[in-house]
Amino acid sequence: MADVTLKGVSKSFGDKRAVEGVDLHIKDGEFVVLLGPTGAGKTTTLRLIAGLEKPDAGTISIGGRPMEGLAPAGRDVAFVFQQYSLYPHLTVYENLAFPLRSPARRMDAAAVDARVRQVAKMVRIDHKLENRSTRLSGGEMQRVAIGRALVRRPAIYLMDEPLSSLDAKLRGELRLELKRIQKELGATLLYVTHDQIEAMTMADRIGILAEGRLVQIGTPREIYADPANLHVAARLGQPHINIVPVDLLPGATPPRGATAIGARTEHIAIAASEGGNARVDWIEHLGDQNHLHIRVGAHKLVTLADPDMPVNPGDRIDLTLKNPLYFGQDGQRLV
Amino acid sequence: MTTSDHTYADKAAEAAVRATPEPVARRLRSLSDKAIAWLFIAPTIVLLLAINIFPLFWAVYLSFTNYRANRPNAVVQNVGLGNYSRVLNDPDIWASMQTTAHFVFWTILLQTVIGFGLAYLIDRKFRGHAFWTTLILIPMMLSPAVVGNFWRFLYEPQIGLFAYAVSFLTGIPTSEIQMLGNVHLAPWAIIIVDTWMWTPYVMLICLAGLRSIPDYIYEAAEVDRASNWRQFWSITVPMALPFIMLAVLFRGIENFKMFDMVNLLTGGGPGSTTEVASIALKRDAFEAWATGRSSAFAIVLFVAVFGLANIYVKALNRVKQR
Repeated sequence: MADVTLKGVSKSFGDKRAVEGVDLHIKDGEFVVLLGPTGAGKTTTLRLIAGLEKPDAGTISIGGRPMEGLAPAGRDVAFVFQQYSLYPHLTVYENLAFPLRSPARRMDAAAVDARVRQVAKMVRIDHKLENRSTRLSGGEMQRVAIGRALVRRPAIYLMDEPLSSLDAKLRGELRLELKRIQKELGATLLYVTHDQIEAMTMADRIGILAEGRLVQIGTPREIYADPANLHVAARLGQPHINIVPVDLLPGATPPRGATAIGARTEHIAIAASEGGNARVDWIEHLGDQNHLHIRVGAHKLVTLADPDMPVNPGDRIDLTLKNPLYFGQDGQRLV
Repeated sequence: MTTSDHTYADKAAEAAVRATPEPVARRLRSLSDKAIAWLFIAPTIVLLLAINIFPLFWAVYLSFTNYRANRPNAVVQNVGLGNYSRVLNDPDIWASMQTTAHFVFWTILLQTVIGFGLAYLIDRKFRGHAFWTTLILIPMMLSPAVVGNFWRFLYEPQIGLFAYAVSFLTGIPTSEIQMLGNVHLAPWAIIIVDTWMWTPYVMLICLAGLRSIPDYIYEAAEVDRASNWRQFWSITVPMALPFIMLAVLFRGIENFKMFDMVNLLTGGGPGSTTEVASIALKRDAFEAWATGRSSAFAIVLFVAVFGLANIYVKALNRVKQR
């Protein structure tokens, strides 16, 4: 395991700038998640570190060693691809053993076998070792793909949305599993996703990518509670953060220059009131909680409410802000 | 389509409806979809039966008789398995089978190795690879008759370009480069032409196989620290293998019954050194007029190709299912 440093890394494909001036330091044993929408440059960042793409500018070093000009094989990284990328003509066992049978490793057969079986158990695929890798379900294939990375002890594990094609239940299970394995191995791991729950639950630190730039990096708590700008604020939180004008609701103490308020559920106090400043449009019952769709003048807000809160569509309520987030004209946060 | 087109088509359709005599129209209306479907495929089926299936069964019948096509009025006698035992015990026929086997083996080996090699190079997607692909494919698009005549000229010892080129490179006088007249060179002359013509075909199938391997498999292997050599043997070859085997099957069946090229180039000679099975069969049927015996020979060949192809297809399916 080792630390990884990116300094001013940029990469364009034709006219399209995929990654622009990214500075990132991943500490040894750290789990960093890059979060961003499609096309933000997450995958390109991973591929640059792996050596599958060459940066146009900037340097990448792994364990203090500069990686310039080194092929993927020379970098000691493991990569989990989004599309599984198993070797289709091989069995699960052979897929897992493939990286260990590299002549450069000179591992004897018994050691390979022991490692394969240990990892297979870790990713819970040990009952299907002799199956062809094409005869597996999506979840099983992805576990093999993760296992194929885990059989090695590389400087860093790079994972590109490894759980995105799985169903919700399996995704939840594997999320926990992956975090546990990472802790167990003390592994350095860079993980790419567009799923905020994966980012929030697994990451030691989250990096928010937008249009090729690393907008903010910090612990999940920091990113959530202390977003640097509107974009970061909008990435996290379910339901989405409400952006409203500064003078729409009472309770705000906007600093000079603030033009917008970001209000999440925890920033909004609701009280039933005949003459309230807002009206309930409709209610989505999710079971453990309700999504309240509220109208204030011409603005629509969504917030969470206790399922036994006595409100009905059409009722008037009173909204008050509690320590919301303030943003300036340029979308940057104001404190 | 413009409105005038519409009206024109509509008018034509209406005219057709009006022009159909009432009894015919009534009959057509009463036909079910299935009946109409049969109506459409019937001509094909009739043709297939008339020129494929019937002759096959007729040949099976003839193979048990002493029938001779040049004596249509002679009494036809049933000879049982006599023709078959003569065919299977005839050393000349076995020699022609051996010639065929030799021809099939070398053409497949050369075409597969060169074809796969070319496909592998073309798949590197270098500058101008599309142009080279087109250029390489040209021999395959020519008619075998043209190719045969064309190469006969190339092989001419006095005026042929082939002999001239070999002589230029090796210093052997052109008069000694009798590609079609020398008993040792003639089989290779045919192998060279067939390889020249059909390697592009094998290349095309291999290229399809190579293109079917997704890039990310190679990227995964790269990250897994597999060398180029290991990637080639543990990814490229096994994943392209079903395609290579398919190309071998097609070329194998085709060359087992090879006739046109040999007939044009050497006609089976010199002596009988290039007399492959189909040439021997033709001589037996249309020079010796032993129709019954040659029918038996044809059936033997048919069963051999069919049996071998079946065994091979089973192997191919096993490879594909991996």
